[in-house]
Amino acid sequence: MRLEKCWFCSSTVYPGHGIQFVRNDAKIFRFCRSKCHKNFKMKRNPRKVKWTKAFRRLHGKDMTQDSTFEFERKRNRPERYNRNVTMETLKAIKKIDKIRVAREARHHTMRMKGKKGMEQKAAARELEQDISLVKAPLALREKSSLTLSKIKVKASQPQAEYPMEE
Amino acid sequence: MAAFVASKWSKVGPPLLDNLRSSRLLEPFGKFQDIASPGWNGLLFQQLRTFIQMRTKLKVVDNSGAKWVRCIQALKGRKGARLGDTIIASVQEAQPRGKVKKGEVVYGVVVRAAMQRGRCDGSEIRFDDNAVVLVNKQGEPIGTRVLGPVPHELRRKKHLKILTLAEHIA
Repeated sequence: MRLEKCWFCSSTVYPGHGIQFVRNDAKIFRFCRSKCHKNFKMKRNPRKVKWTKAFRRLHGKDMTQDSTFEFERKRNRPERYNRNVTMETLKAIKKIDKIRVAREARHHTMRMKGKKGMEQKAAARELEQDISLVKAPLALREKSSLTLSKIKVKASQPQAEYPMEE
Repeated sequence: MAAFVASKWSKVGPPLLDNLRSSRLLEPFGKFQDIASPGWNGLLFQQLRTFIQMRTKLKVVDNSGAKWVRCIQALKGRKGARLGDTIIASVQEAQPRGKVKKGEVVYGVVVRAAMQRGRCDGSEIRFDDNAVVLVNKQGEPIGTRVLGPVPHELRRKKHLKILTLAEHIA
């Protein structure tokens, strides 16, 4: 029994799932589900299809190089069955998975760093510039509490106010 | 009433519809997507592959001399032959100096089928085309070489000679 990788989306194909397509040059394409199979038949390039692992790795959304990936490399040599080795391997798989998930989460936070600051800046700018989309400028002149202006002026002094239309 | 119906049909691009209709009539066993379903444009070339039956053209992938054959009878199966089954075929085109001649009736083993076949572990396998290896009545191949990949299913059907000649076992 072997867990394969889907050619299109790179997810694991468990036994009993999926279709394998053998091309006449003897290259085998394995697919985890008909979604990937149909995309392949449509001749879509997985590197351009946003939800695949190939796209995500290529565009830096998921981490590419890590020592935890070395453990998952394909080995063609069959191992002699040894119960101790099997138990140790099972424990190791769990541990490696935990480490890998933690590293991926860290990669994600590093990627998203500074997003909140950017969002807040963009929101403040939008509030300043485009408040006229929400409230009419005449209404803003009357009620100064609706503006973000730092100088609080009374409505009776029009020259000290910021004009809302740029 | 007839004029009303005719005018309605004329609005739906006549050349495209004619193509669809004529191709539908020619291939009763190939399924196309319904016109009404959304996105049928992109899915038009995704066919539902079926069995190998009478009048199915198959490529010959050994060096017995034949180029392609036409199936006359699938020996097992009511609906047709699948991957690994034996068929009776008639040679349609042959190379000039070969072991078989055009018009001969031969037996063949299907080594590649475009229709997916389920494996005992639950997965499915399908190939790119329909291909056959010519055999005699005892099941021994006539040719001495087999080109292209062949499936594991031949082992179960006891076509071991073909497996030994194969260059790649899928």
